[in-house]
Amino acid sequence: MEEELIGIKNAALSFILEANDLENLEETKLQFLGKSGKLTQTIKEITKVPLEKRKEVGMLANEVKNTIEEAIQRQHELLKKHNQTRLLERIDVTNPGIKPPLGHLHLVTQAIEEISQIFNKIGYTKEKYPEIDWDYYAFTALNFPKNHPARDDWETFFIKGDENEQYGRLVLSPHTSTGQVREMEKEKLPIKMLNIAKCYRRQSDISHTPMFHQFEGLVVDENISIVNLKGTLEYFVKSYFGEKRKSRIRPYHFQFTEPSFEVDVTCGVCLGKGCKLCKAGWLEMGGAGMVHPNVLKAGGINPDKYTGFAFGWGIERVLMMREGLEIDDLRLLYSNRLEFLQQF
Amino acid sequence: MNIKILDSWLREHLKTKATPKEIAEKLSLTSLSVERIEEVGKDFLYEMEITTNRIDLFSVIGIAKEAAAILPQFGINAEFIPLTIKKENGSLTNLPIVINTNPVLVNRVCAVLMEVDTGKSNPQVQERLETSGIRSLNNVIDVTNYVMRTLGHPSHVFDFDRLNTKKLAIREAKKGERIKTLDAKEYTLLGGEIIAENEKGEIVDLLGIMGLSNSIVTEETKRILYFIDNNNPHKIRNASMSLGIRSEAATINEKGIDPELSMDAMLYGIELFEKYASAKQISKVLDIYPNKPKNKTINVSLEKINKIIGVEIDIKKSLNALSALDFKPRLLKDSVSVDIPTNRLDDMEHEEDVIEEIARIYGYHNLSSILPQNGQTQRNFFADDFYWEKRVKNTMKYWGFTEVLTYSFVSQSLFDGPIENAVEISNPLTEDFVFMRNSLVPSLLNVINENKNFEQIKIFEIANVYIKNANKLPEEIPMFSGIYKKDDVSFYEVKGTIEQLLSDLGINNISFKNTKDGGIGASLYLKDESLGQIEVLDSNLIDFELNFKIILKHASINREYVKFAKYPPIVEDLTLVLEQEVKTEDVINEIKKQDKIIVDVYLKDTYEQSRTFHITYQSQENNLTKEDILTIRTQIIKAVEKHFNAKIG
Repeated sequence: MEEELIGIKNAALSFILEANDLENLEETKLQFLGKSGKLTQTIKEITKVPLEKRKEVGMLANEVKNTIEEAIQRQHELLKKHNQTRLLERIDVTNPGIKPPLGHLHLVTQAIEEISQIFNKIGYTKEKYPEIDWDYYAFTALNFPKNHPARDDWETFFIKGDENEQYGRLVLSPHTSTGQVREMEKEKLPIKMLNIAKCYRRQSDISHTPMFHQFEGLVVDENISIVNLKGTLEYFVKSYFGEKRKSRIRPYHFQFTEPSFEVDVTCGVCLGKGCKLCKAGWLEMGGAGMVHPNVLKAGGINPDKYTGFAFGWGIERVLMMREGLEIDDLRLLYSNRLEFLQQF
Repeated sequence: MNIKILDSWLREHLKTKATPKEIAEKLSLTSLSVERIEEVGKDFLYEMEITTNRIDLFSVIGIAKEAAAILPQFGINAEFIPLTIKKENGSLTNLPIVINTNPVLVNRVCAVLMEVDTGKSNPQVQERLETSGIRSLNNVIDVTNYVMRTLGHPSHVFDFDRLNTKKLAIREAKKGERIKTLDAKEYTLLGGEIIAENEKGEIVDLLGIMGLSNSIVTEETKRILYFIDNNNPHKIRNASMSLGIRSEAATINEKGIDPELSMDAMLYGIELFEKYASAKQISKVLDIYPNKPKNKTINVSLEKINKIIGVEIDIKKSLNALSALDFKPRLLKDSVSVDIPTNRLDDMEHEEDVIEEIARIYGYHNLSSILPQNGQTQRNFFADDFYWEKRVKNTMKYWGFTEVLTYSFVSQSLFDGPIENAVEISNPLTEDFVFMRNSLVPSLLNVINENKNFEQIKIFEIANVYIKNANKLPEEIPMFSGIYKKDDVSFYEVKGTIEQLLSDLGINNISFKNTKDGGIGASLYLKDESLGQIEVLDSNLIDFELNFKIILKHASINREYVKFAKYPPIVEDLTLVLEQEVKTEDVINEIKKQDKIIVDVYLKDTYEQSRTFHITYQSQENNLTKEDILTIRTQIIKAVEKHFNAKIG
C-alpha cells in the first residue's frame, strides 16, 4: 500500500510537470484526485489495511494528496503566467479596435447647442414661439408698413386660407423676430430672451436655403443702450469664435430697430488683414439694433421708461464663419448626404 | 442694393486728400458699407451697399455729400462741391403737349421739348456708365442714365415725333392691356401699373420702370421729350415685381425719391443734352407738382440721447455733421430740435431716428462695449424641453444614429394622408415645397433614397409637424422619428432602442400593440395615450415616429431608490411550448400574477415553438427554500397550462 501511494505521488508529479496547458493540468487533476481518480480510489482501499498500520498509511495518503494538490497549484500558476505572455504575443496593436457605435449630430444642432450655452451663461432664457404665425407678429407689430417688400409674395411664404380679421394672413416666420412681441405680451420684465428657430424665406441659391435657422436675443429693461448691445456682441464673438476675432457694428436699416446695425466679425482666415474670402478683413454676421419704440408699444411696453436691444443672426451663417468650414454651397447643409453629415 | 462709382467721378463733387481706402473705411463705419475697391487703370471703382431707407445715397452727389460730412469727424478735411445748375432760359414757348396726371400715381412730372443730334456718346460718359454697370447706348440715352447716377433720380426720354400726340394721359393700366418694352419683350398688364397713353389711346410708357418700343429714341431721332416722373413707389414695386421687370429705374423708384430732386434732374439733363448731343431747348419746362413734401421737425431730449447711446458724447460735433447733410439742428437747453431735409422725410419719424443719425456720425466704433448689468434673471427649472431634446439627441448619437435636418415643407407625393387636411403654402418656391408636413417619415425615406450607396443607415430627426386648425394658428407638434436600414433588420432592435431610450427619460409604462391598419409593426401607448408607431416597411427597412410632445410631458429626472434586498434571489429558466398566437407579454403577466416573490420575468430565448422564460424569485422577508419555489412553480405551470395551453418543454 505504501509503495502504491509513493508510486501514485511520483506518477502524479511527473504528469503535473509535463502538463503544458491548463486543460491538460485539469485532466491530470481529475485522473488522480477526481471521484474515480487513482489516489481517491486507493484511499478508499485503506479500510482493507490492517488496523495497526492504518493510521500510518492514512497519514501517508494525506501527505501524498497535499503534495499533489500543491504541485497542481504551482503548475496552475505557472501555466497562467505563460498564457498571459502568449496572449500578449498574439495582440497586434496595429489591428483595428472594436468601437462602440458613434453617430453624428447635424452641424446646425451642434451650433445651436454651443450658442445656447454661451447665452445661458449670461442669464438668457431660451424660449419657443410658433413657426407659422400671423402676419401681425411677423410684420405689423414689428413696424413693417403695409406695403413693405418683405410682405411681398416673392419674399415670404404665406399659408393658404382666410385672413384673420385681427392678425391678418398666416406666414412661415421669415425671422426669429416674430417672437419679440409675443415675448413682450407675457408681461414679464425685464426680458432676456434667446430664441433659436427655423425660419423660412422664398429663396434658394448657393448662399440661401428656403429653410434656415436664426438665433435671436432680446433684452428689454430700463437703461439698455447701444453700449450694452456692443458688449453683448463682443461677448458672443469672443465666446463663439475665440479671442482672436474682433467685432464691430455699422449703420444699417431694419424696420423693427432704431438705430439699426450691421454686425461684422473679422475674417477667420486673414484675421482682419483682408483676403479673397472677406470684405477688407470683415465678414458680415447679421443685423441688430435698439428695439424700435413702435415695437415696444405693440408689446405693451412704455418706450419712455424701457429700452431694449435685439439681434437676429443666422446659425448657418455663423457656422460658415468658423475657421475650416468654408462650405461653398450652403444648400449642402440640407442635402442630408451622409457623406457630409458623418464628417462632423 | 449695390452701386458702383469711379473715384474720379466722386471727386468731382468731393474735395479731399483722403485716399480711396480711407474714404471706404470711414464711410463703412459711419454710413454705407463699401464692399470693395477695384483698381481701374489709374482710377478706383467703389462698390457700395445702399440700404433701402437711404435711396438718397444711390447717387454720386449723395455719396459725396455724405463723405464730406463724415470725413471731418475723423480729422480729415473734406468739402462737398455741389452741381452748378443754371436756371432755365425764360423766353421760350410752352410745351406743345398737355399732360394729364393723377396725384395718387405721380408726385411730380417735369417735361421739356428739345432738338438733338443723336450719335455716339462722350468717352468719359461711356466709361463712367459702363464701370457703374450701365450699358452705354448713344449720347441721348446715356444722358438720362448719367443724370440718374449723378443725382439719383431716374429720367426718361421719348422720341417726340414718334409720340406724335398733343396729349399724354397718365393713368392706371387695366388688366389685359398689352405693351412692348424697349427691349422688344411683350407683356400683358395685370392692372394697376402706371402708364402713359397718347391721344390715339396707345400706351407709350410704363412709368418709372421702362420705356416702350413705340416711343423710344432711335438713331433717327431729331426731337425729344425729356421726361422726369416721380411716382408712387408702391405702385412701381408691385408692377415691377409682378411683371418681372427689375430695371435699375424701377429698383430706385420703388424706394421713393425726393420730388425736390426732379427739377434738378430736369435742368441738369438739359445742360448735358446741350453739351453731349448738341441739343437745343425748344419749350419751357413743364412742371406738374401736386405732392410737395411737408416740413418736418423732430425734437429729442438730451437725456434720451444719452440713455439710448449709453454714454455721454460730444453732441456738437455730430450736429455740425448733420448740418452738412442738410439737416437744420438747433441745440436747445436740454434737447435738440432738428428740421428734416426733404430727401430724408420717409426715413425720419421718431426721436430714435435722430439719435441714430447723431450716434452713427459720432461713430459706433468710438463707443465702449459693456454687458448689460441687469441683476434679475428669470428662474427656470433646468430640465425643460430643451434639456430633454438635447438628451435624446445625444443618446441617439451615441447609439450610432446620424441626425438629419430635412425641410418642413414637402411635395404632394410626400404628404401623408388626405391633402385637404394639409397646411398649404400659397406661394411655394417649387413643387417640391408646397405642403407643411404632417409626418417626418416620408422626408426620412427620401434621405434613405438619396444615400443609396450606404448599405446600413441609422438616421433620426426631431422636428415639428403641422396640423390645420380653422381660423387659428396651425398646431405644431414636435415628432421624433427615425429609420433603420440594414439587411434582415429586426423589429426587436427598433423596439429595444425605443424602450431603452424612454426608460432613460424615466418613462417605463409603455405598451406595444399590433397596428390597427394591418401593416406590419406596432403601435405604442403610454397608458392610454397613443405615442406613435413602428413600421416594418421591408426586410431591410424599419421606421418609427413618436409624438415628442407627449414624451416631453412625461419625461422626468425623478428616480426612486429601492433598498437592496436582504435575502438572495433564486433564478431559474422555465421553457414552455406555446402556440404562435400566444403573446409573450400575456404569458409574462400571467406568471408574475402568481406570487409577489416573483420579482422579474423576461423572455430569455426562443427556439421553434419553445420560449424560455427567466424567472427571478426573491423575498423581502426570508431566505427562500427549494420547497417554496416548488410550490410556486407548480402554480405557474398550472396557470400557463390552463390559460395558454402551454406544455412544459
